[in-house]
Amino acid sequence: MTLSEPATHDTDERDAVDTVDPVVHEQLLAAAAARDDRRAVVTSAARRIVVFAVFVALLGLLYVAYKQLGQAIDDRQRDWPLVGSLAPRTDDLTMPPLGDIVTVFGEPAPGNDPGTFGSHLLGRSLFTLREAAVGFAAGVAIGLGIAILLAWKKQLADAFLPYVVASQTIPLIAIAPIVVIWGRKNLDFLPFEWQDWMSVSIIATYLTFFPVAVNGLRGLLSPREEHLELMDSYAASWRASLWRLRLPASVPYLFAALKIAATASIVGAIVGEISAGVEGGLGRRILGDALNYTVAPARLYGSVIAAAILGIAVFLVIVGAERAVLHRQRREIVT
Amino acid sequence: MTESATTPVDGSAASDGVTTGSRSGDAATEVLAVDVRDVSQRFHAGRPNEVHALDHIDLTAEPGEFITLIGPSGCGKSTLLRIIAALVDPTDGEVSVHGKTADQARIDQDYGMAFQKAGLFDWRTVAKNIELPLELMGWSKPDRTAKAREMLELVRLDEFVEHYPAELSGGMQQRVAIARSLAFDPSLLLMDEPFGALDEMTREHMQDQLLRIWTETETTIVFVTHSVPEAVYLSTRVVVMSPRPGRIAAEIPIDLGARSAETRDDPAFFDAVTEVRRALRAVEG
Repeated sequence: MTLSEPATHDTDERDAVDTVDPVVHEQLLAAAAARDDRRAVVTSAARRIVVFAVFVALLGLLYVAYKQLGQAIDDRQRDWPLVGSLAPRTDDLTMPPLGDIVTVFGEPAPGNDPGTFGSHLLGRSLFTLREAAVGFAAGVAIGLGIAILLAWKKQLADAFLPYVVASQTIPLIAIAPIVVIWGRKNLDFLPFEWQDWMSVSIIATYLTFFPVAVNGLRGLLSPREEHLELMDSYAASWRASLWRLRLPASVPYLFAALKIAATASIVGAIVGEISAGVEGGLGRRILGDALNYTVAPARLYGSVIAAAILGIAVFLVIVGAERAVLHRQRREIVT
Repeated sequence: MTESATTPVDGSAASDGVTTGSRSGDAATEVLAVDVRDVSQRFHAGRPNEVHALDHIDLTAEPGEFITLIGPSGCGKSTLLRIIAALVDPTDGEVSVHGKTADQARIDQDYGMAFQKAGLFDWRTVAKNIELPLELMGWSKPDRTAKAREMLELVRLDEFVEHYPAELSGGMQQRVAIARSLAFDPSLLLMDEPFGALDEMTREHMQDQLLRIWTETETTIVFVTHSVPEAVYLSTRVVVMSPRPGRIAAEIPIDLGARSAETRDDPAFFDAVTEVRRALRAVEG
């Protein structure tokens, strides 16, 4: 239609569509896009699950096939260019049969735990998860605080950002024992009794705050000129701009950071347990299984699989939260 | 959809004087909506990259006027608009808005502003975007909700209250931005090429809606555009600016009566377009 034609509203909406009124046309397009969107979410989730299952199955198949190959060509007795030399040997000590790795979860747990190895690993994972979660929460709070401080004044960012980066050059293994000793000796003023696992949380915090601070700063500085001018035209204070513009604008950047931080907090907790000698979590389990490897090799595989599952689980929790918050706004950042 | 496509300046029974020129009854007794006195603007003054953007600009707007600023790219029309908005401080000269300094007017929220880019917040629904200035002004939640509804009805988007900007087309986003700029009933509306990115159909439709809103809300509008027909169709006065340094080269009153679809085919409309074009060609040399 042309604009010289009188458009009427008293007709049915469907009639109006035929005249390709710009407004109604736009409305229909937008509604259709929203419907397609919801359908796409469901199918893409289903597709991901299938792809993941296929991937795990392929990994198992590859393991079995490689082991079979090594056994068939007898990699123990002869020198082959790849199998048993550059790649691992395939004997049962180096590569326990896949069946053993699967059944190890049902075997009795080591030590005086009356349950199965699987339930034992679950308990250990939860212990590590607690350390990681506390460390993660503290790290996100500290990282966000740093980001806000550095976004507030450019001079602060210029002065302190290099030190934030430098903090990550200190090896985790070096600081872990210091943190544990420091925690035991000096934190007696706290209203609760300091426990060793809390020291591990501090180590996880150390790994967690960094991506949040760096990405958070990028996010806080991400608003475009038109948004800043708009807030200016409202004579909005810095705090009002932070709350209503900068923080919401940084959410996609923060989610990208949280995905890194969540897995880093698990890694930090496991490494922290090992190097600080804190008993009870997956880290010490992995260390114990490594020491007993010749007796029960499948256990180490089991512990490592548990650690991997824990890492993937916390990652997926963040991905789920990201989808829930950002999907309709179309603001997800590919990382 | 809407009757306004054909009769943007309807409701003429309610406002008889609307059809021509300013709506202000007796201009002498009213404070000027905008008063720009001898404003010059230099960016990076004294440095090799100095830009002399504006040169001794005098411009006034009576309450209820619809003024468009038109000129070649880089003539400083957007800068002038930002100076009126107190987003940029002029190097020289003074600006008052409703008798206050421009900065005080900004602090008092005397104007609404719409930019070339809609500039909606992606994380807020359409309604929440419109509520943004109201939140900052401390309106209560029920008041905000009601006002956002009313504004969305004004721009004919009331079905999209809970949609996010990404779910709307460019034209719809721009309408939301206009609704947002009008939400707190500012007596002055500053618009910087708000329809610049729209296709011709949507653009003409938006022009009609803007004229309808202008009539209904009795605001003063200062509107920056690149398009001569747009300037002529919309305004009561077209201000033609020369290239850098920006000066006011001509002020052309437009007297076309109530706009309608027929206006665009009216010989008087074409005469006015020609007059503005000539003035523009004269300044471009």
